Amino acid sequence: MAKTYDYLFKLLLIGDSGVGKTCVLFRFSEDAFNTTFISTIGIDFKIRTIDLDGKKIKLQIWDTAGQERFRTITTAYYRGAMGIMLVYDITNEKSFENIKNWIRNIEENASADVEKMLLGNKCELEDKRQVSKERGEQLAIEYGIKFIETSAKNSIRVEDAFFTLARDIKAKMEKKL
Amino acid sequence: MEKSSSLNSQHDLYLQEIEGIDDYWGPTFRAIFDNEEHGEFKKKLQERIKQHDKDIERLCNVYYQGFIESVRELLEVRSHSNKLNNQVVGLDKQLHLAASNITKSGSELLQARKVQSNIAVVIAQLNLCLPVFLTYFKLQKQIAEKRYYPALKTLEELEHLHLPHVSNYRFSRQLQENIPKYREKIGEASMSDLKDFLENIRKFSPRIGEVAMRHTSEQLASDPTVIGRKKKRNAALPPGHSNEEDLSAQELIDFSPIYRGLHIAHILGRSPTFESYYRAERTKQARLVLQPPTNMHESEESYKAYIHAVLGFFILEDHVLNTGKGLITRAFLDDMWSMALSKIVTALQTHSAYCTDATLILKIKDLIMLFCATLKNYGYTIKPLWELVRELRDHYTEVLMQRWVQVFREILSKEDFQPIKVYDQEEFDNILLSFPWDGDLPDVVTFPYSFPFSSMVPKVYQQVKEFIYACLKFSEDLNLSQVEVDEMIRKSMNLLLTRTFSGCLSSTFRSPHVNLQEIIQIIVDTGYLEEANVYLDQFISNITGEDSRGLVAGVAQSQHAMFRVAREDAVRQICEKLKQKLNEFLELENYDWLLVEPKGHASSYISDMIAFLQTTFQSFTNIPPEAAQIACKSACEHIANFLLNLLLNEEIKQISMGVLNQLNLDLLQCEQFAASEPVEGLQDDLLTYFEKLREILDLFISWDWPTYFHDYAQETNKYKKVNPDVAIILLEKLKEGDKKTMFTVLKKSERDKKKLLETVLKQLRQLSQIPPGK
Repeated sequence: MAKTYDYLFKLLLIGDSGVGKTCVLFRFSEDAFNTTFISTIGIDFKIRTIDLDGKKIKLQIWDTAGQERFRTITTAYYRGAMGIMLVYDITNEKSFENIKNWIRNIEENASADVEKMLLGNKCELEDKRQVSKERGEQLAIEYGIKFIETSAKNSIRVEDAFFTLARDIKAKMEKKL
Repeated sequence: MEKSSSLNSQHDLYLQEIEGIDDYWGPTFRAIFDNEEHGEFKKKLQERIKQHDKDIERLCNVYYQGFIESVRELLEVRSHSNKLNNQVVGLDKQLHLAASNITKSGSELLQARKVQSNIAVVIAQLNLCLPVFLTYFKLQKQIAEKRYYPALKTLEELEHLHLPHVSNYRFSRQLQENIPKYREKIGEASMSDLKDFLENIRKFSPRIGEVAMRHTSEQLASDPTVIGRKKKRNAALPPGHSNEEDLSAQELIDFSPIYRGLHIAHILGRSPTFESYYRAERTKQARLVLQPPTNMHESEESYKAYIHAVLGFFILEDHVLNTGKGLITRAFLDDMWSMALSKIVTALQTHSAYCTDATLILKIKDLIMLFCATLKNYGYTIKPLWELVRELRDHYTEVLMQRWVQVFREILSKEDFQPIKVYDQEEFDNILLSFPWDGDLPDVVTFPYSFPFSSMVPKVYQQVKEFIYACLKFSEDLNLSQVEVDEMIRKSMNLLLTRTFSGCLSSTFRSPHVNLQEIIQIIVDTGYLEEANVYLDQFISNITGEDSRGLVAGVAQSQHAMFRVAREDAVRQICEKLKQKLNEFLELENYDWLLVEPKGHASSYISDMIAFLQTTFQSFTNIPPEAAQIACKSACEHIANFLLNLLLNEEIKQISMGVLNQLNLDLLQCEQFAASEPVEGLQDDLLTYFEKLREILDLFISWDWPTYFHDYAQETNKYKKVNPDVAIILLEKLKEGDKKTMFTVLKKSERDKKKLLETVLKQLRQLSQIPPGK
């Protein structure tokens, strides 16, 4: 049977409950937005195939529940992940502060060479912003990871974010080979 | 001397003779001459003449004066006479003048006399005519005032009493001629009056109907025999009654035109015409009245108008029947009514069928009920209308269902299908108030507290109650028995839940945007709704006073069946969603079909998938066990089928033993999952889905063909699920996969191996020829 893809990248979305991980994923996989908040239970995933430099890449993106009670379930998925999106909500200071905890979590559970990226979501709510873009950039630099502000609602830079992460993983992988 | 005296006396004699005699003087003259006295006589004569002349002269002297005087007097007379003459002429003129006036006056007097006598004659005649004219005038006036009946009487009087007296007049003849025309005219006028009246009552009959309906409703409201009548309605009645309301409905109309018309027609001998005209017209009107307005279904007003008009019509007819002295007969009215009744029923049926507004249907029902009651008061049969009301009730329930479809859809569309979370006691209490739940509440409630059900449950529960109320509204005033009402409501509620709500639910989770979690919550919710059915049951019993069916019959059983269809649907959806997810994993499959050595661990897509399944069933703690079981079974079945189909896929021509070993590893992973009781109550069941694949792989990996053939078709066969055809396909694939190495290495062992393969294939082909079971 002919292979339908060249690479399979497993990505993980983590971050506090309500920062919009599911929305970001929904935007990326279905190009749609759903305003009603339904917190994810356990874990879910979506698959989207993208074209990157002539290669067909399947992105299997795992959407984790941000809630504490699912922590044990979700951390099990860290190990298999090749890329992790750390998502916070720019209108929610706490979610930004928690990023550090999430990163510690990654360091404890994920493989060392996992590609990480920081997403400041809900950037369309400029008037409710609590976390400046600069602070996001500052944090990203501290951990040596890339940073992008997105809006799942208004479809701003969501594609960019995933493509960037995918490209970085691909580069790392090809370097290894 | 004597001689001379005697001679003179003779001569005197002669003179005397001559003087005495005028003629005949001859004898005298002869006597003179004979006496020869002539000389003497001559002298004497002369003397005499002289004397005479003297006399004459003296006489003339004497008379001349007189003559002058006379002339003078004559002249005087002449002037006098002239004067007299003038006077007479003047007088004459004066007289003439005076007389002319008199003559004139006289002639005028004559004229006047004539006139006077004429007038007298005329007056006499007029006196004769006057009653005619008076009567005629009266007639005209009566006609003008439309008092046709007196007019007719007057006409008769005129004809028989007055006109004969003046028959010699032309006008009398004219009148005489006109009398039939007047009769005609009166007849026509009374007919036109009747027409006006008919037109009038046509306009007015809705009003009569309305008043009659109001009277009935008042009467019903105050009727103590009707128990359970809403008291509110009594109170709602306006305290001020207008005068009009004290009249009975038919008294609002002045029927006199009909009676008059009837009288007149009777007098004119046209009763039959009148009657048939009236009946024909009323029949026509009935047809008009019974023709419902085309857009009647749009508003209550038009229903009212229609019903009032019909009612008014028949109230009038009833009155006419009772008072109209045979203008219409009972049979006629009955005929008309039965015709009308069928039309009314049809009209109401058709139009109410269009109606999709439950409130309007209720109003229509009330209208029809009142209509019935009123008709009954007037003695009309109304049975078909009752049937109509029953039909209407079904339609009402149907419409309510429609409405509640909207309500439920609304609820469901706004629902997030998340367990209700409350943050304080008040919210907590509110939920428990709106939904009776005595489930396992903790002794001490800590906030935020999560109810196991979503907000849809209390909402739907409330809506079902609303629905019950709405249903109940129809049976009000319907004089149904409690049992009937109870039955009806239970039936409707059951329908609402099992059909309407279930339908809404099914369509909800068929929406692609509903995720697993939401469907699970729906299943959970349906469970709570079913439990709440007991309370609904009680609720109905409280309303109707009937025994709760739940206690009597085995409702508990049917309770759980209430949403069975929806739940099955939901479970199917869960399976479907799970399958979708699994397919996404399965699409990631990338076996190397010519793999030489297995990797030593399961393929990553399988591990991921199994892990996902595990977490999923772990996470959805609230999924009802039976649903989870079904979902889990369906998942295992799906995976097993996928793997089997993959192995048998025609597109894959060559396979290696290595890949079979890899598949074995993957299958082991699946079997481990199946055996781990991922969902409570499922153990060995799940493994059965993988059995066929397991036997195939066991057979091929152990290459245990002797046993296969030996035990073939026996109960004890380890490989009884391996179909020879399937084995053939796989062997062929293996053969193809082996080809590459076959040519290069032709060791003896390989040759034996190949030979064995051929033998096995041959055996298998033989087996596949025999129909199974032999």
